[in-house]
Amino acid sequence: MYWKVVMGARFEKYISYPIGLIVALSIFSAILLAMGLNPILSLGALIKGSFGTVFSASETFVKVAPLLLTALAFLIGFKARFLNFGAEGQLYIGALCAYLAASQMGGLPSILSVPLVVLASFAGGVAWLAIPLVLKVKLEINEIFPTIVLNFTAILLFNWLVTGPLMDPNALIPTTRAIPTETWLPIMIPRTRLHVGLIFAFFLAFLIYLILQKTVLGYDIRAVGLGPRAAKHGGIDFSRNIIIVGILSGGLAGLAGMVEVLGANHLLIMGFSPGFGYQGIAIAALGRFDPIGVLLASIFWSILLVGGESMQRGTVAPVPIHMIHILQAVLVLSVLIVQEFLTVRRQK
Amino acid sequence: MIETLTLILSSSVILAIPILFSTLGEIYDQRAGVINLGLDATMSLSAFVALMVCFSNGSYLMGTLTAISVGGLVALIHGFACVTIGINQIISGLLLMTLANGIADFLNTYLSGYRVFFAPLKPINIPGLSQIPVLGPVLFQQNIFVYLAFLFAIVFGFVLYKTTWGLKIRGAGENPEACDAAGINVNRIRYLCLILSGVMAGFGGAFLSLGYLGLYGSGIAAGRGWIAIIVVILSGWSPYRAILGSLIFGLGYSLAANLIGIGIGVPSYILQMLPYIIALIVIIFMFKRTKGPSALTIRYRRK
Repeated sequence: MYWKVVMGARFEKYISYPIGLIVALSIFSAILLAMGLNPILSLGALIKGSFGTVFSASETFVKVAPLLLTALAFLIGFKARFLNFGAEGQLYIGALCAYLAASQMGGLPSILSVPLVVLASFAGGVAWLAIPLVLKVKLEINEIFPTIVLNFTAILLFNWLVTGPLMDPNALIPTTRAIPTETWLPIMIPRTRLHVGLIFAFFLAFLIYLILQKTVLGYDIRAVGLGPRAAKHGGIDFSRNIIIVGILSGGLAGLAGMVEVLGANHLLIMGFSPGFGYQGIAIAALGRFDPIGVLLASIFWSILLVGGESMQRGTVAPVPIHMIHILQAVLVLSVLIVQEFLTVRRQK
Repeated sequence: MIETLTLILSSSVILAIPILFSTLGEIYDQRAGVINLGLDATMSLSAFVALMVCFSNGSYLMGTLTAISVGGLVALIHGFACVTIGINQIISGLLLMTLANGIADFLNTYLSGYRVFFAPLKPINIPGLSQIPVLGPVLFQQNIFVYLAFLFAIVFGFVLYKTTWGLKIRGAGENPEACDAAGINVNRIRYLCLILSGVMAGFGGAFLSLGYLGLYGSGIAAGRGWIAIIVVILSGWSPYRAILGSLIFGLGYSLAANLIGIGIGVPSYILQMLPYIIALIVIIFMFKRTKGPSALTIRYRRK
């Protein structure tokens, strides 16, 4: 009986991915056929665009860092049923704080300036989550709406600063000046943009895994996820754990902005995030809210994004990048539907 | 002075309309126990569809009808995922947002040969009433969508509070087990309300492109769908109070837009924050006291 339950759960876990992928790819192919394009060649272009050369493969992994960090930000909150929908705004504020801190640290050696910038972006992300967090703990107000509202506010604030006070007067498009080279994250492979932010993100994923699985804090967080009453019965401080989760979640989203500024772009530019914050939520769901699953999901997600961008630029299948967003949404929806369907059927 | 005031008030009414439409649908949807977080993207997608259809055959009516059908179809996906199958409504709504935004942007980019601009629907002056100073231009010189939205609010309120259908809807969201025991098909009610919320978001989207802007840009709803969900809570799930709730945000949007026009020296990005700051204040001071339907976001499965 026990064996059957465990094997059943494993079966559901893994079978849902190929099924979801088949559904998503069928819809993808159908749309491409309707556009008069060859789906096989297009998929080939997608794979080639994300892994064809050392450079394209490195670009794929450059994008993994912010995606993984925002996904972890949602994941850690989700474990305590604290749904931080504000990763997008926290990412923008994290990037802003990283830029402001880095631009002051021209003369300092990297060993000193980079950790300080990392701290600044972490603090920025947490600060942007502070209002929803206080509302949740003090007034029991659901966190979804304040976090969403603050996303819009953060992007407007960012756009104002980048087009106004912080704009480089010599730039043709709204960007800031570049940050001092001492604060740039080291490049791992020469002549690419692949920076150590990726290793940093992987390390944090492993750290979150350890916290959740191997520490008392992780146990408390998961207990809080069962609801305030359950936590109270278990003698666990609800408010304290929600605050810790909030700090980790907002901070991780702030760090996602930091890796983009210090690692990938070295300046602030309007619309630098193609919705990393929202995509993190989908990635967290695709990875079944498990840090290692989320790590794999974010790599897969990035392959689709980077491959999709090169597909859009190429001649084989000049498909708008939004096609990839449709593909991703359909994929995650189908995976979740199949998982739920199989779980319910097993329990009957 | 009077002209400026009339302008600001009149555009607050106009800017409240897309929010009011979406709020009304979402009230029904949440009263029945399902939350639809895909509203914002549904509005954008229907705005695009409305404009395209209207552009190709010149009929505002056809444009609107197609837009509301598309809105309903999008909601149907949400219904299958979280009513029939039962996945998390919050996650499903978010994926719906990605999907509908993706479709709208995809079609817009793919058909980018069409850069459509045309005159929004003309206002209809109500004889007599439209001549009243200030109030006339504000309330009685608007297009058909505006009158329709207010009419819907009253009808929706009446149906919800005074009819058996309304009772069933409230039951499905408050106590689905009791509803089921009384022989009511809970999930069918939830499906219908969900489709209604998509249809109403479709009206909101059609109003944005056909009745107000006369054009489409990526992410045209610009957070109005999210504001609509906040208005649902602000108005305590009442269609009547939704009128007042959406007018408050209409005023916020209108002040932002008109102050940019007048040019008071505050950067436009800062002025555009106004509706969101109002939203945050509303959340801080209003949300504590409100309590939604008991079974909201909880899936229902027959035992």
